[in-house]
Amino acid sequence: MLRLAPRSLAQLARNDSAATGRAKRDRFGGRRWRVAVQWTLCAALLVGAEAVTVADDAEGVRFFETKIRPVLAEHCYGCHGAEDQESELRVDTLDGMLRGGYAGPAVMPGKPTGSLLLTAVTYQDSDLRMPPDEKLDAQQVADLRRWIEMGAPHPDSGDTPAPRPLGEIDLEQARQHWAFQRPVLPRIPALVSPGLKPIDAFVFSRLDDAEIPRPGPADRATLLRRATFDLTGLPPTPAEVTAFLADDSPQAWQRVVERLLASPAYGERWGRHWLDLARYADSNGLDENVVHAHAWRYRDYVVDALNRDKPYDQFLVEQIAGDLIGAAESSQTDSPAANRPPDDRPAYQRRNERLIATGFLVLGPKVLAEQDETKMEMDIIDEQVDTLGRSVLGLTLGCARCHTHKFDPITHRDYHALAGIFKSTRSMDSYKTVAEWHENVVESPQQTQRYEAHQQRIADVQKQLDQRIAAATEALPEEQREGKAEELEKRFSPEAREELKSLREQLKQLQDTVPERPMAMGLDEGTVEDLAIHLRGSHLTLGDVVPRGFPAVLTDPETPELPDDQSGRLQLAQWLTTGDHPLTARVMVNRLWRWHFGRGLVATVDNFGLQGEPPSHPQLLDWLAIQFVRSGWSIKSMHRMIMLSETYRASSRFDPVAASRDPDNRLLWRFPPQRLEAEAIRDAHLAVSGTLDRGIGGSLLTLKPREYVFNHTSEDRSTYDTKRRSIYVPVIRNHLYDLFQLFDYNDASVLDGDRESSTVAPQALFLMNSPWIRRVSTSLAARLEALPTPEQRIENLYLLAYGRRPAEAERQGAERFLKTFASAYAAKASAPPESDDSPASPEAAAWQALCHAVVASHEFVYLR
Amino acid sequence: MTNGSNALGLSPLGLSRRRLLQNSAAGFGSLALASLLARTGHTAPAGAGSGSGEFENGGLHHPARAKRVIFLFMKGGPSHMDTFDHKPQLQKDDGKPLPFEKPRVQFAPTSDLLASPWKFQRYGESGIAVSELFPEVARCVDDLCIINSLHGTNPAHGGAALKLHTGSDVFVRPSMGAWIQYGLGTENENLPGFITICPTLAHGGTKNWGSAFLPASCAGTPLGNASQPATNARIKYAENDFYPGQLQRMQLDLAQSLNQQFLQSTGPDTELEARIQSFELAFRMQTEMPEALDLAAETAHTHRLYGIDQETTADFGRQCLMARRFVERGVRFVQITHSNTEVQWDQHGNLRKGHEQNAAEVDRPIAGLLRDLKARGLLEDTLVLWGGEFGRTPTCQGSGRDGRDHNPEGFTMWMAGGGVRGGIQYGATDEYGYYATENKVHIHDLHATVLHLMGVDHTRLTYRHAGRDFRLTDVAGHVVREIFA
Repeated sequence: MLRLAPRSLAQLARNDSAATGRAKRDRFGGRRWRVAVQWTLCAALLVGAEAVTVADDAEGVRFFETKIRPVLAEHCYGCHGAEDQESELRVDTLDGMLRGGYAGPAVMPGKPTGSLLLTAVTYQDSDLRMPPDEKLDAQQVADLRRWIEMGAPHPDSGDTPAPRPLGEIDLEQARQHWAFQRPVLPRIPALVSPGLKPIDAFVFSRLDDAEIPRPGPADRATLLRRATFDLTGLPPTPAEVTAFLADDSPQAWQRVVERLLASPAYGERWGRHWLDLARYADSNGLDENVVHAHAWRYRDYVVDALNRDKPYDQFLVEQIAGDLIGAAESSQTDSPAANRPPDDRPAYQRRNERLIATGFLVLGPKVLAEQDETKMEMDIIDEQVDTLGRSVLGLTLGCARCHTHKFDPITHRDYHALAGIFKSTRSMDSYKTVAEWHENVVESPQQTQRYEAHQQRIADVQKQLDQRIAAATEALPEEQREGKAEELEKRFSPEAREELKSLREQLKQLQDTVPERPMAMGLDEGTVEDLAIHLRGSHLTLGDVVPRGFPAVLTDPETPELPDDQSGRLQLAQWLTTGDHPLTARVMVNRLWRWHFGRGLVATVDNFGLQGEPPSHPQLLDWLAIQFVRSGWSIKSMHRMIMLSETYRASSRFDPVAASRDPDNRLLWRFPPQRLEAEAIRDAHLAVSGTLDRGIGGSLLTLKPREYVFNHTSEDRSTYDTKRRSIYVPVIRNHLYDLFQLFDYNDASVLDGDRESSTVAPQALFLMNSPWIRRVSTSLAARLEALPTPEQRIENLYLLAYGRRPAEAERQGAERFLKTFASAYAAKASAPPESDDSPASPEAAAWQALCHAVVASHEFVYLR
Repeated sequence: MTNGSNALGLSPLGLSRRRLLQNSAAGFGSLALASLLARTGHTAPAGAGSGSGEFENGGLHHPARAKRVIFLFMKGGPSHMDTFDHKPQLQKDDGKPLPFEKPRVQFAPTSDLLASPWKFQRYGESGIAVSELFPEVARCVDDLCIINSLHGTNPAHGGAALKLHTGSDVFVRPSMGAWIQYGLGTENENLPGFITICPTLAHGGTKNWGSAFLPASCAGTPLGNASQPATNARIKYAENDFYPGQLQRMQLDLAQSLNQQFLQSTGPDTELEARIQSFELAFRMQTEMPEALDLAAETAHTHRLYGIDQETTADFGRQCLMARRFVERGVRFVQITHSNTEVQWDQHGNLRKGHEQNAAEVDRPIAGLLRDLKARGLLEDTLVLWGGEFGRTPTCQGSGRDGRDHNPEGFTMWMAGGGVRGGIQYGATDEYGYYATENKVHIHDLHATVLHLMGVDHTRLTYRHAGRDFRLTDVAGHVVREIFA
């Protein structure tokens, strides 16, 4: 780090100020030099870095000794002096003040607004007020401000080297972290077994090394149930089970995978995974729970993108900067991926789709009644930075909002460079309570025409009306033309009044029937500006302005600079998807792996930083990442690659030897048993009971745009009464649908790529007593009733619910239960029916009870 | 937390601890973290001792003064100058302009000073002045530890409510009750460890009792909501109305035998075993919960004590009595909310009428609760906490000189029991009640103090999430030891 003699800088400042003729007399009669902005600029130019500069003229030092040191000594040294350094801050030395404490430098010479000492003593920020018990008097505060403006002259100025700026990191060292290095195509381990897929070679070689036996294959019924839920979130139908069990061709498995990938249910399932990252919701949550009436368009976009196998790079670019992609460029990728039909939709549709995609960054929860509008804006930007960082990069960038990241090489500066991109983007239309997020119009040319024509008609009628009024007024005798409009009209001729009445009716009718414009939450470019570092994350204490850009640890000299006339979102999206970015592809293939196996190769799927888990199979991860990019970022190709492996098709059988060596199954000695997610449980219940509505897309919300789901009365205005697939059930933040809440649905306010799977008694209560489970079991029993014999019914029940035929003992057990239960029920028959949907007979009651047990059981809610 | 490594060189604890809690804690509340870790052979948090029993009263890091909490949440923001923070100077300067600056960020503009419409009177041996809005609670003043110097940051209901409940008004964070669940677990596995009765669904809604990134078992269990009367406050799905009598057991036996079969074919699996247990717990809870909620089992005297015999006080009285019945049964954290659907404690206008009605609804029930807890010997280790998300301005809002705006800069909450000193006032606001000035207690300090009273060091109760350790108090919080008994 270059160090300048303070004297020369002070001199420089003097010359600079003198040149601009801004020398002033201070009230002590001495000369005071305004050394604020220009000085810093010059210094920065000279040293090309953030050298801390301190003035040391004798007068200044005297000012310090007489006005500043006594105040510091009396009010601050007690906690921030030689004895104690609360928050690691000491202010009894110049070095201590420049270096600062946890919160950042206490003093930035020449920069009162960037000096936390001043923030603290002015009591402007309620989280940082010093001295804590009593505010300094106004004169003392003014002196401190002046002293900092003077360049913080101090007797130690000459001897104090500029301390290492807070949060400076050694980039070369930081880049050694595995995740910041580009993936290298690894050698596929050569195993003796011929014909092994690369994935298996990587996995089995680790098992072989650990002397853990390789897993055997899962039986076919189990495999089909696993794959069907995995790719579509639905159970296989009895016909699908029977067909697969009967198909002994070598291509049978591959055909199943292709069939499932081609199903529209695939996008509904995997789109939902992405929505967990997008913290998708149909309401704002947080403080003002108002409806996101148009969020569903983003959801449908995601489902459609997955179904079309939209290349992941394009998928990302559209979500980050879809509004900035020209109409002509449908994709930045020349995709080598096969099986992808050309996108022949009209240009306006693709354009609207890209606008809809930008909803990704607008969907976050916002404190819409935050009274401090600047704070609200910065909070929203922070949410965007955090979401982008964790979802795409697997980095907790949000941690660097208040200070340089404690663990990862992400500086406070990096954060603000990135935040500047979003500051230059329009996400909000208004910050006034209740604040409003931005929405884009997404209509067809016909709709635009219709809308504009309608507006024109309104204007025309209004014009006619105005003209008619003018004419009628004109027709009045001159002395009657004065007065209020209503008064005047009473004097018009009956014909004129009749005509006005009719015009007004027309106008009202037109105004009431303005065609609703399709809208979508989304982004637009804002005023392009670089952001000043917010010390401690507070907009009340601003440091240096940082040019917009990307985290230094991930960039190299080739990384392009951002243009002055654009936010930089498009460049950001392109930088993320160059293909050799160390994180983008790795993070995504790891996510895909997580959603297939229940755990990522990197277990902390949202965190690839130093606090994340290292990968269990680093070579496999790199190999997959490289294949992903080579496939043209085709997600479906990755599914094929994974699902055709033996690793995926492995049995989930428990092996005591393997378990003793690798209790967490990190090496994949078996396919990990997994509980179904909330949506899959619900959809499976509907599917087996024959009541699932397979309608695709659209909104089920019944509330108007921006209407409150919950106001202060706590009246519940959410409705969940639908038989559509779970992905279409409105996601009301702060009040999720019970079943979702209970079964670990994504919180919908925060990104989560690794949903939990909890086991708590309220889940059991739901499965025992809820009206939902009663409806499901009653419908399922009624469905079975159509079959002639108990054997067939039981077999069908097992096929529907478990995807397999019952063993003989199971069939007998079920029959025994039916008999015992029916007779016990009959014995209670004197009791009046509990409700209208009580079973018609003891036998019906027994079937319902059996179905209930089956759809609440382990085997129904677990995959193995 | 000691970060052990297994044979594969992967440090498992971040995940394992979570999975451990999810799977072992099949009950409603999780077991104490420390005891759970000890029981399963894991290392307890640094300095936590080997089990929750090591410290007196089950503290996690030091002996607990309070074993449980009842939080009486006054939704909307009760006015401190009109209740527990007597300001004689405000009475004198009625109608004059505020002689110092108003905060940089305000919810809405206010005009000049507005004297309190209510008289204050000194009560008890402590002689603390309480306004005539709370005549009954005033008679318990020698048990109250009134903190007059609370301050927060957010002047809007949503932000302030979230801040009070979770410590953050911007991010989704676990609520105070969830942290306590996480740290201390439950004393009764058959009941939820954290219950919130008739909570408000607005202004943070479920986030105010949510577990955020903590295990789901730490989340509060809501009974009813603020739009419903307390008589409707029931745990969802706890009542079996499908199968009469023994038939439910018969049906459950079938389900459990299917579960056992699956478990056997899959091999040993803690999650599947926990799931079998969870059904048994749920079954037992069907009996336990209605019993806990059966207020008819209480005497007429008790009903009167809580004001259940009077229309005005019946609803909140029921909530208070439920709270007592729950803490008696080992529920760790019970929150009850007063949020009248017509007039909350939010008098931008109609201060006189609104505050009078709100106070009338809660005064007798709260006093009844305090007296009842005391009589049963529960008060000494039950911490009762009273307050809203903020206070109100000493300056007037609206044209009728009958309203006050939100004020997070200085307000009052009080505690009782649970190891705090009764009959004291701690901290102070300025002469009008606008800003906290003396011995200021930030929301973070309040949280640190509540945790401390429960035997938990707020700096050591952490949870690793998204790459860092989180705390209820984030990077702040000072324990207010001066109020300890």
